[in-house]
Amino acid sequence: MKKLAREICIIGVGMHKFGKFLDKDLKELTRVAVWNAINDAGIDANFIEAAYFANVLAGLITGQESIRGQVFLRDAGFERIPIVNVEGACASGTIALREASIAIMAGLYDVVLAVGAEKLYLDDTAKSIQAMSANTDVELMGGLGFQFTGSYAMSLRKYMKQYGWTQQHFAKVASKNKFNGSLNPYAQYRKPMSVEEILNSRLISWPLTLYMCSTMADGSAAAIVCAKDVVGKITNRPPITISACGLQSGEVTGEDDGQRRIARDSYEMAGCGPEDIEVAEVHDAMAPGEMFRIEKLGFCRAEEIARLIDEDYFTLKGELPVNPSGGLAARGHPIGATGLAQIAELVWQMRGEAGARQVAGRNSPFPKVGLAQNSGGYVEGAPAALSITILTK
Amino acid sequence: MVDLAIKKGLIRIPESPGEKPYLIGGRCSTCGYTCFPKKEVCVRCRRNDTMEEIKLGPYAILETFAVMQVGPPGFPPPYIMGYVRTKEGAVVFTLITGCEARDDALELGEEMELIIDKIREDPEGNYLIGWKFRPTGNKNTS
Repeated sequence: MKKLAREICIIGVGMHKFGKFLDKDLKELTRVAVWNAINDAGIDANFIEAAYFANVLAGLITGQESIRGQVFLRDAGFERIPIVNVEGACASGTIALREASIAIMAGLYDVVLAVGAEKLYLDDTAKSIQAMSANTDVELMGGLGFQFTGSYAMSLRKYMKQYGWTQQHFAKVASKNKFNGSLNPYAQYRKPMSVEEILNSRLISWPLTLYMCSTMADGSAAAIVCAKDVVGKITNRPPITISACGLQSGEVTGEDDGQRRIARDSYEMAGCGPEDIEVAEVHDAMAPGEMFRIEKLGFCRAEEIARLIDEDYFTLKGELPVNPSGGLAARGHPIGATGLAQIAELVWQMRGEAGARQVAGRNSPFPKVGLAQNSGGYVEGAPAALSITILTK
Repeated sequence: MVDLAIKKGLIRIPESPGEKPYLIGGRCSTCGYTCFPKKEVCVRCRRNDTMEEIKLGPYAILETFAVMQVGPPGFPPPYIMGYVRTKEGAVVFTLITGCEARDDALELGEEMELIIDKIREDPEGNYLIGWKFRPTGNKNTS
């Protein structure tokens, strides 16, 4: 694994609240996140030299294909500069961040915008649900009744058999994340829920109940990426360094589906290990998925996770807080925006700006090393796109 | 209203009684990687001159499954989706039939059998035909 060629960092992040906004379009959602990030960075917007725009389903849902970023960013005030459209299902946001970072490392630019925006709520719910199947190989899965809830249920069933994980543990993880989400003003769902409420909600696909699952959402998130040697010239904000921006594809020919491989390679890129991570945002479109992400990221062994959940190890006050934002199921999952929302959360946590859901660092008031794990789509039996970002302060 | 294969070249549909259906898969003559559908290039070796066409099925092992209580258009719940590994070693995403759509109707590791069946109707009312697997009743496969 080669090292990053130039020091890069994030100087600003911003979001539009996730939720159901029937009266808002993608132009508005995009503009709000972008300008929140610009204002957060405290820079003159004219410093931005290029933009990477992540969106997944606007083409299928609204018909706006081909030049989505150019269309939606125009209303945010961007013409002239290069705009690159990025998609990789639910991992699109961190792919955009990575491409922005690479452009800076290549020496082409010093300041680049990465933004993800998605609008899934329409008057026609069936159309939105149908569009989600495009995040698979539609000939072999999407057209045959494949659903992402089922894919999580299938993985969890295997872990339950092998490691004794129970539906009770899954509800406990979901309850923890609902509580975290209740403290996050950008989250779609702000209501804390008990383990019993979650277990008693409608069955979606055993062992998953309704309140363990993400639903549709609208929303956006953005980050301003900057060469470290330039930061001091344009802002006083404390930079958060991007130490690793791993991107790989899933695999079906090996022992692992690719998730352990990208974790190992991303730690190597950052020059750290799983024991160094102080806060993590992981991809849990269904909250119990957090458990197998934790295992694949090497935070602990699969055999230990159920016990650690019972010991509140992954809560806001625990040894390793996971999904302090609420994760995908509570914060919401507007798919193209999700990855950058994970990044925004890490930046806020590492700066000490996360308000009521602020977590502590191990040897400092706020965490100094954070990890975002983001994955997108399904091909054959494995995630299509795998992404890990490691941030340091 | 006609029967349409969901895509050409994926399955052999029996044309006479007694003939068994099969999936048209691929195997790498160098590394043995076995896949469905057939590919021209081995994903493990990344060579384009080693893949051979093989018949997959009818027997497979149930790797995992999920009973879906909600469904997209064309898939009325409850229904079962799952992954099976054919006797030849290919992993196949499939709908599961031939048993009640209940979590206690199947066990991981039990034997499954390929059938050709209606997957769904298209908007014109045609039947889209593809592969499904059903339990054979043999739960002791190890």
